[in-house]
Amino acid sequence: MKILHMLRFTTAARALMLGSAILLVLGGCASTPVPVSQMAVAEASVQSANSSNTSEHAPGELQIAIAKLASARAAMSRKDYVEARRLAEQAELDARVAQVRAQSVSARKAAQESQEAARVLREELNRNTYN
Amino acid sequence: MNIRLISIVTLTAALAACSSTPDRNNALEQARSKFETAQSNPQVTTHAADELQQAQNSLRKAEGAWKSREKDGSIEHLSYLATQRVVIAEETASNRAAQVIISEAAAERDKMRLALRTSEADAAKQRLALSEQSNAARAAALAEAEIAAERQRERASELEQAAMREQERVNELEKQLAELNAKQTDRGLVVTLGDVLFDTGKSELMAQGTRNVNKLAEVLEKNPEAKILIEGHTDNVGNDTYNYGLAQRRADAVQSALARQGIPSDRMTTRSHGPDMPAADNSTAAGRQMNRRVEIIFESEND
Repeated sequence: MKILHMLRFTTAARALMLGSAILLVLGGCASTPVPVSQMAVAEASVQSANSSNTSEHAPGELQIAIAKLASARAAMSRKDYVEARRLAEQAELDARVAQVRAQSVSARKAAQESQEAARVLREELNRNTYN
Repeated sequence: MNIRLISIVTLTAALAACSSTPDRNNALEQARSKFETAQSNPQVTTHAADELQQAQNSLRKAEGAWKSREKDGSIEHLSYLATQRVVIAEETASNRAAQVIISEAAAERDKMRLALRTSEADAAKQRLALSEQSNAARAAALAEAEIAAERQRERASELEQAAMREQERVNELEKQLAELNAKQTDRGLVVTLGDVLFDTGKSELMAQGTRNVNKLAEVLEKNPEAKILIEGHTDNVGNDTYNYGLAQRRADAVQSALARQGIPSDRMTTRSHGPDMPAADNSTAAGRQMNRRVEIIFESEND
């Protein structure tokens, strides 16, 4: 429990290391493989997605990813490794969805702005040409 | 009829039982449908081919799970992953398409900025050329106006000089005619040769009259431009025919005398007014004497 509590606040790299330790400790008594690396990947993915741009442009998607990662941790703690693996896999992709969606939203906005700027300039050019 | 119908229904039921395919899975159907939509979107196939391939691999796994009839929500889980991978492919494509638009717009902006600068420079050049042109035109107009003004000044001064010369000429004439009691009138300078210069009822000039005529001839010689009008007048005594004749003869006599002094006759005109233009009252002897006269009028040169 203490180890799991720590895991919640570690970076992806640390999570991977700690995950390996857990695998050594728990590996002997569990019947299904413990999704240590998948958990680490999900942690890293969520952490990478948890940026100001994502929380501004895709807050809903980010919350889903964070919640799913929390559920994965909960499944890990009750040793439901099948569920933990699935939730971790989903959290990883949910986090990536949040990240790319936020990126494309701000890129579309920037594209619109630069097209508008070009339009303004074009109008100015036309005015100059005909004046 | 009934038996046939029943047998068809039975046959259909039997066939349905035989072809018992795995149950449709909603999550998988949804994932497949989303994938097909993304696959038919040219933006996704152009900008996120790898991501679309990963989505397809993910979908294959979900379909594999469905075909091997896996339970425990495995199909739903894999379908969810496939669906999310389709979303990732779509958003990645949208992001990259926007990036292309941004760089294209930036390139267009650069091109237009250049064009704008060029057109501004051209406009400035054009304005400069125009202003130079108009300056040149203005300078030419100014020079022309100055020339015209100079000409006008010259003309004005010429006129002034001509007026001065005319005034001098008139003054000179007046001086020369002073001895003959010339008077300045509206009609010009008038010299009156009185009755006493002629014999009574005659048209021959007496000695004093001849002297006056000689003086006139001298003045006329000095002023070759001058033209004179010689007018004969009488009083109202006697009949008009006689008076007109006498006045004419006296005017002619003055003209002949001047002609004898060498004055060309085209500078002289004679006219008889008879008693029509009295200079004084005909009711007194003195007045009548003043009315019997010949007037020599120096015509104004400007007329």
